Amino acid sequence: METLASLLHTSPATAWMAVKVLMAFGLIMGIAPPLTWAERRGSAMIQDRIGPNRAALFGKIRILGLVQALADGVKFFFKEDLVPPHANKRLFWLAPLLAFVPAMLGFAVIPMGRSFLSGGTEYHLSLLDPGNGMGMLFPMAVGAMAVYGILVAAWSSNNKWAILGGMRASAQMVSYEVGLSLAVIAIFMVTGGYDPHEIVKAQQGTFLGVLPNWYVFRQPFGFLVFFVCMFAEANRLPFDFAEGESEIVAGFHIEYGSMKFALIGLAEYGHILGASALITTMYLGGWGIPFVADHGQIPVIVTFLVFLTKVIALCLVFIWVRWTLPRFRYDQLMNLGWKKLLPISMANLLYFAYRMRG
Amino acid sequence: MGVLVKKVELTWWERLYVVSVAIGMGVTFKHFIKQLLTPTSKRYTIQYPDMKKEMPKGYRGLHELKRFEDGAIKCVACFMCQEACPARCISIEAEEFSELNFTQGFEEKRPATFKIDMLRCIFCGMCEEACPKDAIWLRDNYELAAYDRLSMNFGKWDLINTYAEPDGKARLTQAEESPMTPSRRTVAL
Repeated sequence: METLASLLHTSPATAWMAVKVLMAFGLIMGIAPPLTWAERRGSAMIQDRIGPNRAALFGKIRILGLVQALADGVKFFFKEDLVPPHANKRLFWLAPLLAFVPAMLGFAVIPMGRSFLSGGTEYHLSLLDPGNGMGMLFPMAVGAMAVYGILVAAWSSNNKWAILGGMRASAQMVSYEVGLSLAVIAIFMVTGGYDPHEIVKAQQGTFLGVLPNWYVFRQPFGFLVFFVCMFAEANRLPFDFAEGESEIVAGFHIEYGSMKFALIGLAEYGHILGASALITTMYLGGWGIPFVADHGQIPVIVTFLVFLTKVIALCLVFIWVRWTLPRFRYDQLMNLGWKKLLPISMANLLYFAYRMRG
Repeated sequence: MGVLVKKVELTWWERLYVVSVAIGMGVTFKHFIKQLLTPTSKRYTIQYPDMKKEMPKGYRGLHELKRFEDGAIKCVACFMCQEACPARCISIEAEEFSELNFTQGFEEKRPATFKIDMLRCIFCGMCEEACPKDAIWLRDNYELAAYDRLSMNFGKWDLINTYAEPDGKARLTQAEESPMTPSRRTVAL
């Protein structure tokens, strides 16, 4: 680390921060386009179709249609960037950013690997070092900001379909936030802190002798609520109320085209990644290898790969669920959120609070 | 009169939803794996330009004017197909021909032109039914497209050659006049 810093004529802290920013940014930007490919090919396989397999590099190298994402990107860049005359122009431009930035920001506190010592200083693989006082509250708060992206996009379009989609999506996201927070509080209580590093540390070792000491197994109901709410937060099927092909056409992004649309789409995958990272950190042991109590000897890159594997697997589960479940009706959605998930997470919270009464 | 829809009562087990979701995801996963492990050639999708559908036996596609083994056209220009055609897309002009007419007065009929307007043809197969000589067949080629109307007007030579390559037969051109005259040199009179 020192050598890298001296090569760049900066302090080790700055160099490490640059590396981390590149890593976090590269993670999202590097995984999101293949995710669109996985979504399309995966859905095709699930439905006994074939999916996009024609796009080829230089007209020859097909690589299973993986270049389709690239082709889509190029296409989006060259499309006409149209702002409808009746739209609020400033907000219309702002909305994709509002959708995209929170999706990226959520990664700031997620530890992507083991902290390690180098030259006497400890380096952490999360953008914000532990002890910043925000901990896991930060991704929660920023994730809630994603509502504004959808709402602003819908509102500024000045289109009735868009507003319908945006309104009900925001209502859904706000109401699922409650159950989500209560599920998370149970984890904070049991861990004794809300720093992601502590949460990951608390999940190392084994539980009941046979299971990894993950919060999935220790708090299965909390996990269920959190998992379902994350689908709602990421606006994924079965909770994709921002859109609705049969009812309100494309929903909140109906007026969007070209790269702004692509950015909104990318934000959706950013949210999936963010949600997966959150679930991984909170319930699946973060970068911890299952059953291993002491990670002191394990190389940092291995812990990073473990984290990446868990995140990508969860992303695939998100895709898998989308192509399995039909969407809810709006009243069913509200029923589930307020009458089922909220009581479950409350009971979960009370149970763990009772157990900790000391 | 409305239809009485019976409301399905779910058991508490189904109402838990989690189990049903798990079962559903199992189904989709099974499909995923099945499709993933099926080789491309055995999947439901026929990837068109690379793979082509095997047409059923009685399929009525692009016509072919049949020839004898020696290359002579079977059609005797009897106009039966032209009469039978409901779309009126066939137009024939007949001609007499013989290479022996100096000595034996041997004369036969053949089409000088045989045109089918593929834009009008409805591929009903009536011409095939009407033909007394089995000279016109509707076969399995369905890839009929052109950039202009004129090239959809198939002439005699086009129709003879429509299946030249798939059959492995040599493509005939108008310049090679010889195969068109039957080489029945030892005709018993």
